[in-house]
Amino acid sequence: MNPLAQNHVAHLTRREALYGLSGGLGSLAFSSMLRAERVPGVNHPAKAKRCIFLMMEGGPSHIDTFDPKPELTKRHLQKFKRSGERESAMSSGQRYFVKSPFDFIKAGKCGADVSAEWHHLKNHVDDMCFYRGCQVESVNHPTACYHVNTGNRFGGDPAVGAWVTYGLGTLNDNLPGFVVLPRTSYPQGGASNWSNGFLPADYQGTPLRPEGSPILDLHTPTGMTRKDQRKNLDLLATLNREHLNLRPENGELDARMSSYELAYRMQMEVPGILDLKGETEKTKEAYGIGDSKTDSFGRKCLLARRLVEKGVRFVQAYAGSWDSHDYIERAHGSLIRSVDKPIAAMLSDLKERGLLEDTLVVWCGEFGRTPDNGLRGGVSYGRDHNAKAMTMWFAGGGTKAGHTIGATDEIGAEAVECVHHIRDVHVTWLNLLGLDDNQLTYYHAGRHKQLSQFGGKVIQELIA
Amino acid sequence: MTIGWVTSPVFGEVSVGEKLFALKVKPLFAQKCMACHGDDPKKIKGDLDMRTRASLLLGGETYEDEVLIPGKGEKSFLYILATRVEEDMEMPPKEADKLTKEQTWSIRDWINEGAPWPDEERVAHIQKKYAEGEQVVTSKALSDDWQKRRYETKKLWAYRPLKVEKVPEGEHPVDWFVNRKLKEAGLVPASDASSRELYRRLSFGLTGLPPDPAQAIKFEREFTKSKTALSEHAEKLMAIPHYGEHFARHWLDVARYADSAGFANDYTRPNAWRYRDYVVRAFNEDKPYNQFVKEQVAGDEMEPANPEHLVATGFLRMGPWEQTGMSVFKETRQLWLDDVTDSVGQTFLAHAMQCAKCHDHKFDPVPTRDYYGMMAVFSTTQFAERKAPFLPSESKEGFATFSKLMQSKVSTYEKQKKELQQKINRLKKEETGNAKVGDNGLDPGDEASQSRISKNLVRHRLELDRSQPITHSVYTGKTVAMKNVQGRLNMPRDPWSKGYFDPDVIFTGGDVYSHGEAVVPVALSAAESLGNMKARPFPAGKGKRRLALANWIADGKNPLTARVMVNRIWSWHFGRGIAGNPNNFGGTGELPTHPALLDYLADWFMKNGWSVKKLNALILSSETYRRSSRHPAPEILEEKDPKGILYASFRPRRLVAEEIRDAMLFVSGELNPKVGGIPARPDVNLEVAFQPRQIMGGTASVYEPDPLPKQRNRRTIYAEKLRGLRDPFLETFNQPGPDASCELRQTSTVAPQALTLLNAEEVHDRALAFAARLLKERKKEPAVIGRAFELALGRSASPDEVTVCVERWKLATETEKEKTPTPKTYSKKIKRTVMAEKTGEPYDFWEFLPAYETYQPDLQRSEVDARTRGLAHVCLVLFNLNEFSYLD
Repeated sequence: MNPLAQNHVAHLTRREALYGLSGGLGSLAFSSMLRAERVPGVNHPAKAKRCIFLMMEGGPSHIDTFDPKPELTKRHLQKFKRSGERESAMSSGQRYFVKSPFDFIKAGKCGADVSAEWHHLKNHVDDMCFYRGCQVESVNHPTACYHVNTGNRFGGDPAVGAWVTYGLGTLNDNLPGFVVLPRTSYPQGGASNWSNGFLPADYQGTPLRPEGSPILDLHTPTGMTRKDQRKNLDLLATLNREHLNLRPENGELDARMSSYELAYRMQMEVPGILDLKGETEKTKEAYGIGDSKTDSFGRKCLLARRLVEKGVRFVQAYAGSWDSHDYIERAHGSLIRSVDKPIAAMLSDLKERGLLEDTLVVWCGEFGRTPDNGLRGGVSYGRDHNAKAMTMWFAGGGTKAGHTIGATDEIGAEAVECVHHIRDVHVTWLNLLGLDDNQLTYYHAGRHKQLSQFGGKVIQELIA
Repeated sequence: MTIGWVTSPVFGEVSVGEKLFALKVKPLFAQKCMACHGDDPKKIKGDLDMRTRASLLLGGETYEDEVLIPGKGEKSFLYILATRVEEDMEMPPKEADKLTKEQTWSIRDWINEGAPWPDEERVAHIQKKYAEGEQVVTSKALSDDWQKRRYETKKLWAYRPLKVEKVPEGEHPVDWFVNRKLKEAGLVPASDASSRELYRRLSFGLTGLPPDPAQAIKFEREFTKSKTALSEHAEKLMAIPHYGEHFARHWLDVARYADSAGFANDYTRPNAWRYRDYVVRAFNEDKPYNQFVKEQVAGDEMEPANPEHLVATGFLRMGPWEQTGMSVFKETRQLWLDDVTDSVGQTFLAHAMQCAKCHDHKFDPVPTRDYYGMMAVFSTTQFAERKAPFLPSESKEGFATFSKLMQSKVSTYEKQKKELQQKINRLKKEETGNAKVGDNGLDPGDEASQSRISKNLVRHRLELDRSQPITHSVYTGKTVAMKNVQGRLNMPRDPWSKGYFDPDVIFTGGDVYSHGEAVVPVALSAAESLGNMKARPFPAGKGKRRLALANWIADGKNPLTARVMVNRIWSWHFGRGIAGNPNNFGGTGELPTHPALLDYLADWFMKNGWSVKKLNALILSSETYRRSSRHPAPEILEEKDPKGILYASFRPRRLVAEEIRDAMLFVSGELNPKVGGIPARPDVNLEVAFQPRQIMGGTASVYEPDPLPKQRNRRTIYAEKLRGLRDPFLETFNQPGPDASCELRQTSTVAPQALTLLNAEEVHDRALAFAARLLKERKKEPAVIGRAFELALGRSASPDEVTVCVERWKLATETEKEKTPTPKTYSKKIKRTVMAEKTGEPYDFWEFLPAYETYQPDLQRSEVDARTRGLAHVCLVLFNLNEFSYLD
């Protein structure tokens, strides 16, 4: 006989509601148990409703992917001298110009420049908008990654995905609004790259890990069954009830109890989202799943599509490392191969499903690479880091398809046309999603903070 | 008749419109509009020039002559746009800059009055005669308008001298000020919390640990007789070293303590732990706060021979920092100068200095000159790992074990490196200049391993410095450019011989390559002028600049320092500051809710030797502190104090991440209460520990926990804090990252917290140990459950609770009987797969884990019977209770 029967009954009713017996799940969210802050909302008509951010960590070379420099072929192995105050290891020793090992072609109706290595993506350039004008400040990976991801090179601030989820809220209460698909090895700077920073923890990027448990502690530990856990949760609810009854005004306590119920559901549902069994063989083949060269990023791209379909607001997928200081032909060659087919498949898939129109796809690294290299022992032609020039591209979400905006100088050392600091890219990015960087602020430590740090410009050239 | 300004025929009568213009509208234009509409005549946005009435009447490209229609405020777009009703044309564009209602009304009213535009001389006259708000004397600003601008008086509170009210004899000062406000609001406060609740509050509040059940009973007995029991028990708790640990945790949040440098290499800071222990000692010894400040800012300049003082200056180097071969030294140096200026400003003066870096401060009386003046204080400050013999009070425990372990890691890598080198020597082919890429005959994985091993050797050898009598410190001297910093930085013999002086100048627009006017070392000029401080010139050149700043901060006349610390301490007890932003006392920070109380306490603090313990005692002896978290009339409370700032009841709080972990270890009986010493390596989620993480040139070694339970199960403050590898348990419970200063912990309730407490192996380990402990201490089932409640929740269990728990225990024992747990096994090496930089393709390698050679797990399921395992289910539930994580 249960002496707390009365509470127990109340609890069971609640459980029925929460575990889907009555379908009343609307009030529960994956993360947001407490929304003290008003969601700032869409500030103007949005071109894009969601975003897939393909982060090419390590710094892909614009010169060997999307920004051909025939001048480098002419100057190949001529001596190069970097001067000025900004000296570092990248300017010491004897340096030489290095040509791209790849041929370039004019692709699509728009005639976009792509390296011939992009066997699949070259068929999509009419849906893509290339941008060659962006500059960042840092030539070190973690600081540059932080800068691109969070707007602050020191890290510690909210990531773009956190801001977007904060601004737009979530479309699926049972999933996180901001999902990250990292590589098995985390990037330099670690999880701060998808941090919620000073925003409430609800907006933190949730990594779905490619190996092991997709979400940490998603499964009961060895020796514990789900049945055991169910019984324990029942006891938990019973004991919590009395404490809660005495403190009805403390909303956090009720929210915390709900979070346990949601956690219980997640244990069953999350593995299903990751399970690609429901996809046809044809789809899997298209994404390169099953081929060791493309399998890893193929899964991420397919998962990204599945997640945005299910209402996840912002997905970031990592590929890399593109940090090819040596041997660019082989290193960039295999990296391009590993992402080319998966990305092409994802773009087709989004388009076929009518999602591309309002899904913003962003592809970029944390910086570009130099036209020159210190030839280390004659082994290899590689490139160092370059904060002054890079190529990023966008697709869908109201960007100007089939265009190449901005330009770098004749050797690809520096952006010279439509030059913008990364903060303007951030402002544009938010703008496409219907958010105004100047209004999407959060009051923290006595200051209204924003993604661009202190404001920036929309790059109109990128918008259709 | 004397000719005064007012009746001067030159000026005559001043109209309402003119007054509005001179006092409100013109300053608003200057502050909010002119940056885009006139300051730079070449760059006028939207073709709207706001420099003169005529140009404003001409209007801009969008609204033309409807911008300003004299006499028609509501119709003029100047007013309409300022009210932000026109989408995409809100002015000023930034939400953070938006005008208040009152400000928009003054524009409207001015237009209604015909939009008069008196000339400069007349404006100056009107301002002089009628101006509201006040001007602040500061050092020279970048712009004239800024220099002359006026501040709302109430926003300058932090700079003014303390205003100390007298508290009537026999009244407790805290209650006197708090109750006065309650009375004004017509609110009756909650009565005292129960003694069990109070003691739990006290124990967590002072030590960060759950109450000792025996002490709790004693407290209950004594408190029933006399309320002074609370003060006596507070004294007792402050006398145990766990007090210092807990208060140090608060301070280290602000200081951003970490054991690694962050960024690309995340190199260890092998001696940072000595600073952490210094802070623990400072609170335990109740070091006067003014001394605490001085030692951290300028200990080396005060007493360079005193190791304690050298250790204290570690504060100045707490932020993330690195200089790689890729970095430009000048920029790295500047990043640190910016960082230290801002962190000293936030920590001691509650000023976000960075806001004045590129322009005079938008809201506060901090001109850019003050920013660079304060930065100049640090321009002769240099990094060094200085010799500092260990003090008797420092723990040297575990040095030998750690060194041995690290040495074996180093040796393993050395052996691997040698073998690899031999293989490479064998295979490597001579190359010519014409060689095609990849013609060197080497396996790219081997090449990647070579670089990975070399980098990890550098990293682990650096860790061997942990037990050396050196400290993460600074010295005063010239700046010497550095290339690639991978290890200990030594003190030069003569700090003034090599190197250069950093330029003491304003960097225009914050750009390190753009030198503006020269500056001299100073601090906040507004604090000097408004606070009636004597403005002392700080030395420049080779002088002791930091010591001068330290003395300036610790000066009893400094209006900020004591207020800032008192406010922090208050926030540590009550979960919110009297001033709502402990790191920001500027105009945008929340104003103090009880300014008189803050001033009283700040004054009291200084008069009582800047003693933190005494201040704690004063606060804790108040009725305000004792209040129940449950108000008798919550609806009335909600109505009269919606923000919960009047202290009618105590604000309940969730335990912070460290408290949750420590509390579990404490109640399970596993906590090793040792104080201080080299960082402990607790068990962390194994998937995270083994997950590859990239560093420059390869992949960092696996995180290995300490081999012995007593080493691992230390208080969380001693857990090694790596910027690049956060413990997911702590992160999930809102432990802030160590890159930015954290003024106060946030709490959010998210599902991953529930997953952690339900499923994490570390939590199950604690539950099992707790069960084993209970069965050792009590025999009969109800007694076991009763003891469990006492330890975990600081109270006895109700009969109903005993019944449901025993029921669950019995059932769980039955299911456990059907299981046969096997001992956990740990491999001593793991195969890892990462990407080779040269090929962009994955490669595998084996990594050896010396810590697992001698690893002893915590109590395991295979070592106990089904009854203990069954009880562990109940223990797990107790750890998951709201009541376990929440303090009343």
